[in-house]
Amino acid sequence: MLGRIAVILAVTLGSPAHAEGENVTIDAPAAGSISREEGMEAWLRIYEVASHPRCSNCHVGSDNTPMWSGPSYGRARPHGMNVNAGDSRIGAEYVQCSTCHAYREGVNDMPHAAPQVAMNWQLAPVEAEWFGKSSVDICNQLRDPERNGGRDFNEIASHLDHDLILHWAWNPGGGREPAPFSLQEHVNDVLAWGVAGYPCENDE
Amino acid sequence: MRLLVNGEDREVDVEDDMPLLWVLRDELGLKGTKYGCGIAQCGACTVQMDGVAVRSCQVPAATAEGADVVTIEGLGAPDALHAVQAAWVEHQVAQCGYCQSGQIMQAVSLLDTNPEPTDDDIDIVMGGNLCRCGTYPRIRAAVKTAATKLQEA
Repeated sequence: MLGRIAVILAVTLGSPAHAEGENVTIDAPAAGSISREEGMEAWLRIYEVASHPRCSNCHVGSDNTPMWSGPSYGRARPHGMNVNAGDSRIGAEYVQCSTCHAYREGVNDMPHAAPQVAMNWQLAPVEAEWFGKSSVDICNQLRDPERNGGRDFNEIASHLDHDLILHWAWNPGGGREPAPFSLQEHVNDVLAWGVAGYPCENDE
Repeated sequence: MRLLVNGEDREVDVEDDMPLLWVLRDELGLKGTKYGCGIAQCGACTVQMDGVAVRSCQVPAATAEGADVVTIEGLGAPDALHAVQAAWVEHQVAQCGYCQSGQIMQAVSLLDTNPEPTDDDIDIVMGGNLCRCGTYPRIRAAVKTAATKLQEA
């Protein structure tokens, strides 16, 4: 079983992200050009995105259970069908996310169907658990290289550019509410927040 | 486009985004795979693609191109049933039977991944395959019987 999971993981992690989706420009503001106050304003917009169901539903903890929440769900609840993505976070131990969230190039136009993108569907890493967490908690997570995949602000922006599941959040289709602002505005806010020194509400 | 279905190369003239389920049933005449909901919420259309269970109503034909697709027709033959099919017969799992080809294809995938599943493992993996007749206790028993037989084989 473990060998099979390893193969599946290798295939998943080895797959290059495809180029479809919104084009993003990553052009950080000059060092010193963004004040802490402006950086804090950018953070609050970033939090609006991070805490939106299109993003937070898959940023769940070590129970490996994605959530269904948002305007179309009424109340927040665990993903239906007894889904558990396992420690692999792609469902390799049980039912793979891609069993329903298949590879698809193009838009998701069918209400209630499993959303699909041109890469393997998966949960965010458990270190990036933030479903239901506060702004200050998520802010400290996202600026901590131990919990953000070792990324600085340019690398977080680059991650937003390359991960097509993240692109999907702004173009979810099927009557789902998109994440707020636009992907480009979100990338710009990440860059501004980083240039401002990653301010969080608990800073002195 | 060319599809490999149950070990046979098949040529089909379909749109890239036609669901694989439509291709199997309407283009290739393989009616063992069932349409239940069309939105990945019931599991009736489960087939295997490169050894992994997929909901064929959700897989665009273009995604299946080049993959090794196995349907219930390709799993075993009447005189040489797959161990899971044999266990289904032994436990008389089916009631109306509509969901059962999907249940069997998912169960095969489960046992490929996890040869000795616990009750919890079975409940998690089979939780996406609905049965309106409520055959779940017999499904669980048949999965365990099939697991034992596959271990002995």
